[in-house]
Amino acid sequence: MTTVVVADDDQDIRSLVSIAVRKAGLDLVASVSDGALALEAILKHRPDLAILDVSMPEMTGLEVCRAVRGDTSIGDVRILLLSASVDEASQAIGIEAGADYFLAKPFSPRELASWLSVGKEPR
Amino acid sequence: MNDLFTRISERLSMDLDHPSPAVKQSATAIAVVAAAVLTLLVPGLGFSSTTVAVAGIGIIAFATLVSLVFTRFDNLEHYALLIPVIDLFGLGAFRAGTGGTASLWGSLIILPVVWLAAAEGRRFIAYAGVGTSIALMTPYIISLTWPQTPGELLRGFFTPLVFAVAAAIVNELARQSRKQLRSIKGLAEEKERMLQRTVEYAAQLQESEAKYRAFDRMFRGVWAAVTEQSVIGTDATGLVDAWNPGATKILGPTAEQAEDKLHIFDFHLPDELEERARELNYPPGETVLNPGFSALVETARLGQAESREWTYVRSDGTHVPVQLSVTKRVDEEGRTRGYLFVASDVTQAREVARLKDEFVGLISHELRTPLSSILGYLELMRDDEDNPLSEEHLQYLGVAERNAHRLLRLVGDLLFTAQVESGKFPLDSRMVPLDSIVTAALESARPVADTAGIQLVQKLPDVPAVVHGDPVRLGQAVDNLISNAIKFTPRGGTVTLALEVTADKAVITVRDTGMGIAESELDKLFSRFFRATTATRNAVPGVGLGLTITKAIVTAHHGEMGVESEEGVGTCFSMTLPLSAVVAAV
Repeated sequence: MTTVVVADDDQDIRSLVSIAVRKAGLDLVASVSDGALALEAILKHRPDLAILDVSMPEMTGLEVCRAVRGDTSIGDVRILLLSASVDEASQAIGIEAGADYFLAKPFSPRELASWLSVGKEPR
Repeated sequence: MNDLFTRISERLSMDLDHPSPAVKQSATAIAVVAAAVLTLLVPGLGFSSTTVAVAGIGIIAFATLVSLVFTRFDNLEHYALLIPVIDLFGLGAFRAGTGGTASLWGSLIILPVVWLAAAEGRRFIAYAGVGTSIALMTPYIISLTWPQTPGELLRGFFTPLVFAVAAAIVNELARQSRKQLRSIKGLAEEKERMLQRTVEYAAQLQESEAKYRAFDRMFRGVWAAVTEQSVIGTDATGLVDAWNPGATKILGPTAEQAEDKLHIFDFHLPDELEERARELNYPPGETVLNPGFSALVETARLGQAESREWTYVRSDGTHVPVQLSVTKRVDEEGRTRGYLFVASDVTQAREVARLKDEFVGLISHELRTPLSSILGYLELMRDDEDNPLSEEHLQYLGVAERNAHRLLRLVGDLLFTAQVESGKFPLDSRMVPLDSIVTAALESARPVADTAGIQLVQKLPDVPAVVHGDPVRLGQAVDNLISNAIKFTPRGGTVTLALEVTADKAVITVRDTGMGIAESELDKLFSRFFRATTATRNAVPGVGLGLTITKAIVTAHHGEMGVESEEGVGTCFSMTLPLSAVVAAV
C-alpha cells in the first residue's frame, strides 16, 4: 500500500489532509507539525508520498523538498506541496525545489482524495 | 549769525554777478551829485543856467527813481535800457546848465553810453552814438539855435563818433564775455547733467547689486539646505561642476573632492548604464566618449524631463537606489551647457513597499489557511455518507460555504490590488481568443442571473479576436463587469455582453438596464474601495475592489476602460484591448 507522510503546522489542515489520505485508501505513516520533523519522518519511513505545507516552522516545505532531493540515499519519494499562495511564481519555485505536485489552499478534500487514489498508481 | 552772513554774501554775489538797474544807475547818480556839489563849491566853476542844470539833475533823479522801480519789479527789466537813455537827456541838460561846450562834466556822458553799449546787440552801438550826439547838442536844442561855428558843429558829431567807437569796443567786449559766459555756463550744465547721470547710474548699479546679492544669498541658502536630495551639476561631458551637501550625504565625496575632478558616471552602475544604452539603441548624444553617459542624459538632451530609478555607487562601493531626475542646463543662446542630476534616496521607500508586500502576503496567508479549514470541513460534512444531512441542514451549509467563498475572493482581491500597487503583477502571457473568454464569463454568470431574474444577451463578431495576455486575469476582468451589471440591475432587466472588433482593437462592452451611476461619481469609479451612491443606497453588496482590479488588468494589457451611465436608465462599461499583432498580420 502507498505510504504517506503529512506535514502542516496547522493541525486542522493536517487532519483534513489525513482524512483525505485515508479516504483514498492510502497508508498514513506519519503526521507531523513542522519541517524538521517531516524530514525526520521521511528518513525514517521512506514513504511513497510526502504532503508538505510550504510555510512551516523549523524548515519550510521548500527546504524539506531540497533536502530530500539532495540526499541520494532517499529513494523515489513523490512530493506534493501545499501552499496558501496562488500565484504561479511560487508554484514555479516549488517545482524548482523538486516538488512533483503543487496544491493551492483552499483545496477540496474530495478532489484531493480522488487525486490521491489515482496518484497512488505508479507514475 | 552764520546764516545771516551766508544770506548777505549770497545776495552780494548775486548783485555783483548780475547787477540790478539800480546798481548800474548808482554810478551816474553819484557822479552827478558829486559834480553838482563840486560846481557849487569849487571857485571858477558855476552854473551857466541854474534852471537847465537843475532840470538835468531832476531828470537824473527821475531815472534813478525809475531804476529803483525796475529793480523792485523783475518783469520790467526788459525796459531797463530806458534808464541810460533818460540819463543821456539828463546829462545833456546838466552839461548845458554847467557851461555847455565849456562844461567840465561832458565826460559823464560816458557812463550811460557804456551801459547802453554793453547791452546785447550791435544796434546799441548806434543808440549810444545817437544818444551821445543828442546829449551834446542839448544846449542847441534848448536854445533852439544852430551851432554858430563849424567847430561847435563838429563837437556835436566828433565826440559822439569817438563815444560810438568806444561803445563798439565795449559792446564787442561785452558780447565776447557774454559768449564766454554762456559757453562756460553750458559746459557747467553739461557737467552737472553728466554728474547727475553718473549718480543715477551708480544708484541703479547699487540696486541691482543688492538684488543680485539677495538672490545669491537665497540660492546659497537653498543649495545648502537641500541635504536629503543630491543635486549634482555637470558640464556636457559629465564632469561634475556643482555638488551640494545632499550629494555628499548620499554619495560620500565633498564638493572639493568632486567638483572638476569626478564624472557623474563614476557614481552609476556600469551595467545599468550599459543596459539603458542598449534600450535606447546607443544614442549618439553630444559627446561620444561614453555611451552610458549619453544614455543617462538622452531624454534630457532632447529637452524632456525624465525621472527614473537608478543605482548610485557610493565612494565606499556600496549601492544606493535613487529616484533620479535629469534636466538640461542651457546658456543664454540655448546651447546645452551641461546637465543637472537631482536624486532622492529611495532605500526607505523601497523598504516600506517591501514590508507592505510582506504584510499583505502574510495577512492573505493567515486568512487563507483558516478559510481552507472552514471550506474543507464543510465539504466533509456534506460528503459524509454515514450521517447524511437533512435538506434544511444542507441549505444552511450552502450559506456557510457561499460566505466562506466570498471571504476567500475578498482576500484574493486584496492581495491582487496590493500587487498591482507595488507594480508586481504576475501576468501570464499567451494568445487569448476573446470570444471564448466572453462566452465562459457569460456561462458562469448564468445561474446568478437566472436567480436574479435577469436576461443575459451575448453578441459576438464573425471574425476571431485574439489578444496577447493572461486568460485568467482577462476572464476575471470580464467576470467582474458582468457580476457588477447583474448586481446593479433590478429583476426583469437585461445585461448585454458584446464583443466587437475594429482594425487593431477589440472592444468588450457590458451594458445593463440598471440603476445607473451619478455623473459626478464616474471619475471616482475606478479608485480603490469607492462605492457609488446608488450601490450603498440600494444595499448592493461589495467592498469596492472589483472595478479597481478590472481597470488594473486592462491597463496591464495596454488597454483602456471606459464607462457611460445614466441614472435610472443603465450603465455601459467597455474594455478596449489591442489585438495581437501576430494574429492581425495573418
